[in-house]
Amino acid sequence: MNSRESVLLKNADRPGPAGIDEYGEWGGYRSLHKALSMEPGQVLDEVKKSGLRGRGGAGFPTGMKWSFAVADPQTQKYLLCNADEGEPGTFKDRIIIEKNPHLLIEGMVISAYAVGAASGYIYLRGEYPKAKDILLRAIKEAYEKNYLGDSILGKGVVFHLHIHCGAGAYICGEETALIESLEGKRGQPRIKPPFPVNEGFSSKPTVVNNVETLANIPYILEIGGDEYAKIGSPECPGLKLFSVSGHVKRPGVYELPMGVTLREIIYTHCGGIRGDRKLKGVIPGGVSTPVLLPDTIDCPMDFFHLGKVGSMLGSGAVIVFDETVDMVKVCLRITKFFEHESCGKCTPCREGVSWLRAVLERMSNGSGRGGDKDLLTEVSNNIAGKTFCPLGENAAAAVQSFVNNFGDEFKEKIKSG
Amino acid sequence: MITITIDGKKISFERPVTILDAARAAGIHIPTLCHHDILKPYGGCRLCLVEVEKVPKLQTACSQYVSDGMVVRTETEKVVDARRAVLEFLLINHPLDCPHCDKAGECELQDLAAKYGPAMGRFAEGKRRYPENLEDPLIVRNRERCILCLRCVRMCDDVQGASALSVTGRGSKSYIEPFSGGAYDCEYCGNCLAVCPVGAITSRTHRHGFRPWLMEKEVETVCSYCGVGCSLVLQVRNNSVVRSVPRSGLGLNRGLLCSKGRFGYDCLNYGDRLDAPLMRRNGVLERVTWTEAINCIADRMKEIKRENGSDAIAGIVSGRCTNEDAYVFQKFFRGAIGTNNIDSVAGMAYGPAQRFFEKILVQGVTANPIQGISDSDGIFVIGGDPTAINPVLGLQVRSASKKGVPVIVVGHPGGLKRYSKRAFIMNSAAETVFLAALVDEIKRRRPLPGERPVLEEIINGFRPAPLEDASKMSGFGPNDLVDTAHALSNMSRPSIIIGRDIVQTDTGHMNLLFLAALTYLLNGRIYLLSELPNEQGVLDMGCQPDMLPSGRPLTVETFRKRCEETLGIIIPPAPGLSYAEMTEAAHEGRIKALYVMGEDMVLGLPDSNYVRGALRNIEFLVVQDRFFTETAKYADVVLPALSWAEKEGSYTNLERRIQLTRKAVEGESIEEWKVISEISKTFGLHMGYRSAADIFSEIARVSQIYRELTLEGIADGKSVWPYRGGPLRYDMHTEGTKLPDIVSVMEESGMSGVHVRREAHLFHSQNASRYSPALLSITPEPHLKIGDILADRLSVKDGDRVKVSTDAGSIVLSARRDPCLPDNVVLASTFDGGGIFEITKWRVNPITKAPASDVNGVVIDKEEAITVLHKDRADSLVGG
Repeated sequence: MNSRESVLLKNADRPGPAGIDEYGEWGGYRSLHKALSMEPGQVLDEVKKSGLRGRGGAGFPTGMKWSFAVADPQTQKYLLCNADEGEPGTFKDRIIIEKNPHLLIEGMVISAYAVGAASGYIYLRGEYPKAKDILLRAIKEAYEKNYLGDSILGKGVVFHLHIHCGAGAYICGEETALIESLEGKRGQPRIKPPFPVNEGFSSKPTVVNNVETLANIPYILEIGGDEYAKIGSPECPGLKLFSVSGHVKRPGVYELPMGVTLREIIYTHCGGIRGDRKLKGVIPGGVSTPVLLPDTIDCPMDFFHLGKVGSMLGSGAVIVFDETVDMVKVCLRITKFFEHESCGKCTPCREGVSWLRAVLERMSNGSGRGGDKDLLTEVSNNIAGKTFCPLGENAAAAVQSFVNNFGDEFKEKIKSG
Repeated sequence: MITITIDGKKISFERPVTILDAARAAGIHIPTLCHHDILKPYGGCRLCLVEVEKVPKLQTACSQYVSDGMVVRTETEKVVDARRAVLEFLLINHPLDCPHCDKAGECELQDLAAKYGPAMGRFAEGKRRYPENLEDPLIVRNRERCILCLRCVRMCDDVQGASALSVTGRGSKSYIEPFSGGAYDCEYCGNCLAVCPVGAITSRTHRHGFRPWLMEKEVETVCSYCGVGCSLVLQVRNNSVVRSVPRSGLGLNRGLLCSKGRFGYDCLNYGDRLDAPLMRRNGVLERVTWTEAINCIADRMKEIKRENGSDAIAGIVSGRCTNEDAYVFQKFFRGAIGTNNIDSVAGMAYGPAQRFFEKILVQGVTANPIQGISDSDGIFVIGGDPTAINPVLGLQVRSASKKGVPVIVVGHPGGLKRYSKRAFIMNSAAETVFLAALVDEIKRRRPLPGERPVLEEIINGFRPAPLEDASKMSGFGPNDLVDTAHALSNMSRPSIIIGRDIVQTDTGHMNLLFLAALTYLLNGRIYLLSELPNEQGVLDMGCQPDMLPSGRPLTVETFRKRCEETLGIIIPPAPGLSYAEMTEAAHEGRIKALYVMGEDMVLGLPDSNYVRGALRNIEFLVVQDRFFTETAKYADVVLPALSWAEKEGSYTNLERRIQLTRKAVEGESIEEWKVISEISKTFGLHMGYRSAADIFSEIARVSQIYRELTLEGIADGKSVWPYRGGPLRYDMHTEGTKLPDIVSVMEESGMSGVHVRREAHLFHSQNASRYSPALLSITPEPHLKIGDILADRLSVKDGDRVKVSTDAGSIVLSARRDPCLPDNVVLASTFDGGGIFEITKWRVNPITKAPASDVNGVVIDKEEAITVLHKDRADSLVGG
């Protein structure tokens, strides 16, 4: 992989964002030229062939999502970029936006052309004010160069791009809650169906894609879908950004092919565990994904294989814990996050997660009671499978994974209390 | 065809339905909490989770639609466990204060916990604690009991369209709060508390007043506040109505009520209800027996009849009287007194408007189903705010607007502010010119249908005012007018909603003609807003000076004779006086005796001083009412009346649906019809009715249109126009109707100053609401709505006292700034003494006979000192 030049992380090691001229010098917007010389259906076919799956966490095949929106008979369509990067441990979209904003814009224009959207929004995490300024400037530049506007590249293609800043709600990263919020309503997930691809923003067909997903599009156009599909895992190919944090020697964002093992990420790219201590556990894809024990780190990192070992790729946010870590405290910290971010719409998530937090808190304080470990299991089982959206589901799964994998530590807490 | 299997039962559907509806159709019960039949699926509570074959996760039955071949299981171990889990979650923070909670006994969470829930909780942490919110006069909020099903918020947003409530906070810290913070600033429909499944939103009017399971009886009846005629259930204990509630699926309101229907029932229990007849002796009203009172009425009326003739006697009924009372009343006047001097408040605007449209268009033209409004493709509103006058009808307009149907309002949009495409507020003369210009513009865009040659001749022969002049006078640009005409022209079946203020003005007759033309050109459906529950009924019962019961003119001899034969009475051949004419005749001393049933003339007619003068001139005044009204103060005999909940009868609503009103409690008086029959007996006319049903069966005999109807038969609420027969055929002369020369309106109007218009108030209707402490607690006194420009010019802030004066008098009102209003129009309400009618100069339109409810050329001054309005009344309320 080291032989391949960075695509998504180009410019990441230099200060400041790449301006439009610089981006152009690297061949930027060439893919847009290419796309506009094709029929929208041909662009869609390339993306389908690439096997690209959504990088936001759920891993839905991008080409398939687009084709649903294309198939909807309504003519007014929207493209939304989900830049509400809020999953703890995740900081990959930010680096794309802050270092290479035109990559995202180019990806959006091509995608909008393919799905037939004349306007789009970037729903940007509210805590990314710097990214907002960079994007605003980049959008202005793109309008000036006719990469956005009423006749892009003089070909009559219309696409207008706007930025909308979130107000600090994790749930707005869920696509239907994002749309509600964008419409000026309280950010809460909607009943599906109808899916956004048929009835999304303003009740119009809407494609919502993650920043990283969209940033892959110019490269797919550049090398062709077939070629892209050869990168990484055959089941879900392509480039993936991994945000690595925790007890590694070199934390950071890494652009690697799908299917790279956790071991390679931790020990090769990140230089191993800090202080060469022992690995205790690792969260592979952000706190929404179940924690793994060291014996599973040879699992390839992709949507397919991680599911087999009881976790998920999520956003590719690898959080590494060494042997010194109190796993009950980690579990409490994660549960506090979900409690804080639960929108309150459905009962199990609203009430159950707050109950879990209360139990974990007293265990952590040393006032755990006999049966608390089982209570955690039962309450999280009672949440699992019953929530409105994945938020509550993930909160329960996180607790389940910690209790299952580090059961002795939980027992110890009760005893010591 | 979609066939599914639920719990082993196969069932088929034509169209996709939710699993919940499918289960109900199969007779299978699935528990729910956030689901409500009136509301859209929400999927929040997760109680209705069921297993669907081939779907790994449990699905919510309320939101998931069935598909062909689907196999659903509602009672598997997995489902039962999920249900128990959800109930446990709901109960961990819900206070178990059921013994103290008003909802206990009808609490959905309590019932579900009893049926499915865990008996013991495992939650050892402390529950969330918040104090109860008692800042609002009518609605109590309890945040601890709230289960965040959001039924209230969804009701307020999606159905009521008031958008007064929202969720605040997030996750387990979420709670429901009105945008206004502590007290509500809303329409007080109370539909939020009706849908609350727990005791989180409760009514303060009966707080800790009773336990729901100790209710003695529930009586299904019809509301007595406005002409919509919503169905409601009166709950009774100790011969007292303790609550009025809607019932989902019952009546045309389908589970919804407005502020008056929900909270206004307390006027029944108002402390100063009249309970014995009063008679004036030596200038003082004293309690007397019924026999004394009836003898006195009989003697004085006979005396006046002997000395001054039958036509010196007149009768006025209220639009709140039942059909039976109204029918007996007119029969007494025609058969016993021998006069056609009978009219009602419906004779001021509702009646003339209906008669005019029937004459020009077709009989029954205003009898349109209210539910049809939301299905129309355009809505034109003029002469009143439907969301205030007929609130549940108003919801139909909002619902249409939400579907994208254009709503155009001429007049103050009021509760349609967020729901109208355009609203044009101007003075009354300008409205007429504006309407004329609209008709002219539409005429150019839409061909005349060719169905009514007479009307088309009128429309073709009319010369409009130049567009520029019309726009100048209305204060709107020519483009606004043209665009509106264009929008109207695009409607193929619009609803035309007409309030009485477009009739009660100097140019009212012209407005009616233009509106008829508009309706004809656009193929519109007319809805006449009706401020009282039985305006239509009293008209139909013949409480009109020139119409027999059932709406046939008495001047046509064959009709009169047939009626005389059926009833065995003699009916005078000449029409009597209208309400306004009677008032004038009383003023001039031509009416010597007046019998007023249920109407407060002083507050109900424009120019209160003029009316007071008329009442003072009457030799013998009888007032039959529930309360000691302003009019009763001038009476020689005051008779106590029963309220609608204390007697059997029927009301006919504005869509001409006849509905049964049932007796819920025993009143301390005698039915009005019984009293009138007793008086009638002394005149030798024996009526011999034993019940309201007897009277109704006579009504059914009088006219073809009611044939075979019975009081019991109408109980299903489905008796709609034209009932059992076709419309009555008789010649309606349209010849001689001419469209007026609109240019003369512009020249003569002289509407240069500030114009005061009536505001029909959401929380009040005529006089009944004055006796409802609950309604008065929301809005205790009338106010003046004033536009920002004018208010700034006068340095008037919200709440400032302003003096409003005309030639007829002056009043002091509290000011409310309203950014919608232009600088030449202000609005004042009428619901209590001191409203706009105190300063409205007595003017009667010679054609419609409607007294004008507006006035021009008012002077507004800011009052520096704070004056207490109606001190007596404020004291009496505190005392009561």
